[in-house]
Amino acid sequence: MRGSSFGYLLREGAKNIYANRLMSFASIGTLVACMLLIGGSLLFSMNINRAVGYVEQQNEVEVELDDGLSDEQIKEVDKEITLIDNVYERKFVSKDALMEELKAQSDDLAALLDGLEEDNPLYDSYRLKVKDLSRLSSTVMKLESLEGVSAVRAPDMVGEIMTNVKRAVSSAGYFIVAILLVVSLVIMGNTIKVTVFNRRKEINIMKYVGATDAFIRLPFFVEGFLLGLVSALISFGLLWVGYNYILDVIAQNPSTWMTQVYSNIIPFDEIAAQMLAWFLGGGVFIGVFGSMFFVNKYLKV
Amino acid sequence: MIEFVNVSKVYKTGTHALNHFNVSIDRGEFVFVVGPSGAGKSTFIKLLMREEKPTSGEIYVNGQNLVKLRRRKVPYFRRTLGVVFQDFRLIPNMNVYDNIAFALRVTNVPSKDIRSRVPYILGLVGLSGKAKSLPEHLSGGEQQRVALARALVNNPSLIIADEPTGNIDPELSFEIVDLLSEINKCGTTVVMVTHAHNLVAEFNHRVIAIDEGTVISDNKNGGYYVE
Repeated sequence: MRGSSFGYLLREGAKNIYANRLMSFASIGTLVACMLLIGGSLLFSMNINRAVGYVEQQNEVEVELDDGLSDEQIKEVDKEITLIDNVYERKFVSKDALMEELKAQSDDLAALLDGLEEDNPLYDSYRLKVKDLSRLSSTVMKLESLEGVSAVRAPDMVGEIMTNVKRAVSSAGYFIVAILLVVSLVIMGNTIKVTVFNRRKEINIMKYVGATDAFIRLPFFVEGFLLGLVSALISFGLLWVGYNYILDVIAQNPSTWMTQVYSNIIPFDEIAAQMLAWFLGGGVFIGVFGSMFFVNKYLKV
Repeated sequence: MIEFVNVSKVYKTGTHALNHFNVSIDRGEFVFVVGPSGAGKSTFIKLLMREEKPTSGEIYVNGQNLVKLRRRKVPYFRRTLGVVFQDFRLIPNMNVYDNIAFALRVTNVPSKDIRSRVPYILGLVGLSGKAKSLPEHLSGGEQQRVALARALVNNPSLIIADEPTGNIDPELSFEIVDLLSEINKCGTTVVMVTHAHNLVAEFNHRVIAIDEGTVISDNKNGGYYVE
């Protein structure tokens, strides 16, 4: 293809957007609305996941060791624990340390324990954190079977609830995103169909004067590409502003619960690049393939 | 130039549009194709432009075997034709100049050639002064001349006119056919489908009459009057 024709086709595509500005406006509006909904629900479920993840990490598994283990035996237990891959953090708490801790907790406990330093009735223990709460019960079983472990205390209930919440949130999130995706494709497809339909005469004439299919498609390709690009940028901008606005509202709320929430919300900058890439990719894909699909229908003359 | 050998066309609806249709048109001829509605004239045109393929038979146009012509080669074949329709088919939001230049732009002609070719053709159809006008500001006759200019601009060896005078005043119709005749004198083959008996009578060209999908008369010396 000749350079001047290529330039002509690019100009045609851009010109068409203006010439059909009402339709272009409708396409951009639809795309932006759909991308905002999809982006919004993605952000929401990402945040819920993050919050659940945060709560998960607060859970501790306490492993109580047998009384009177030698240092060697404790080292042995330590080594065994490192072999369990779901454990990501472990802290040894000697019985003396535990006593200090308890004494510090309240004066009553301190009075009770006073004088027992010589014959400490407490136990040495490990405090562990697990990576994945959904595998908590099997991890607990592994810990219980270790030589030198007398008891394992784990927040089974919390683990189960958290796992369920996480699963529900992410499947609901996927479901909503999938529905929105289908809806946007249908609406977008329709808008493009109307655009192409309005220009069927032009396409028809091009066919009669001997334009090749590629030549007919290119302006529509350019148009679809630009519409997708513009929509992606607009929805990204709106989402950015909107998200930060909500963050501000939460930040200004004086309740401690809200402050807690705020500290766990994903800052927009962290996901901005990824979000933008998805929006651009999605917008351009829908714009270009939507146009191509419907133009092809009118090429059979 | 144009050769239809035993061509039949049956549409999916079951309509037998052409039945064992034979016709041969030489280079440089001017041919009127006449016949009642449903006789097969439109199908003849569609086959000629390779918009449809025949159910059986052979078609040769401008040295191409249209039955065997690959889909991807169709655009290049169409560049050897100029087509004029009853409803003009001009692009409403382009002015006269751009409507004509459009045919060149979409077929990869360098802009230098477009700039010299379009004014020349506009002069030929007598519309030099209307280059900047939009189609809606022109009369029917003028619009059809723009369409004719667009058909001519590629310098085709065959002009196909499908009822070109169907939408314009009788006096102006004469002008259009006169223009086609002038173009024909320069060596371009012209095939014109028409209902206008008076025009056919007025111009002394070959007349092919079609009915029920076959040629019922072919008069090389003009006139037809088959009832």
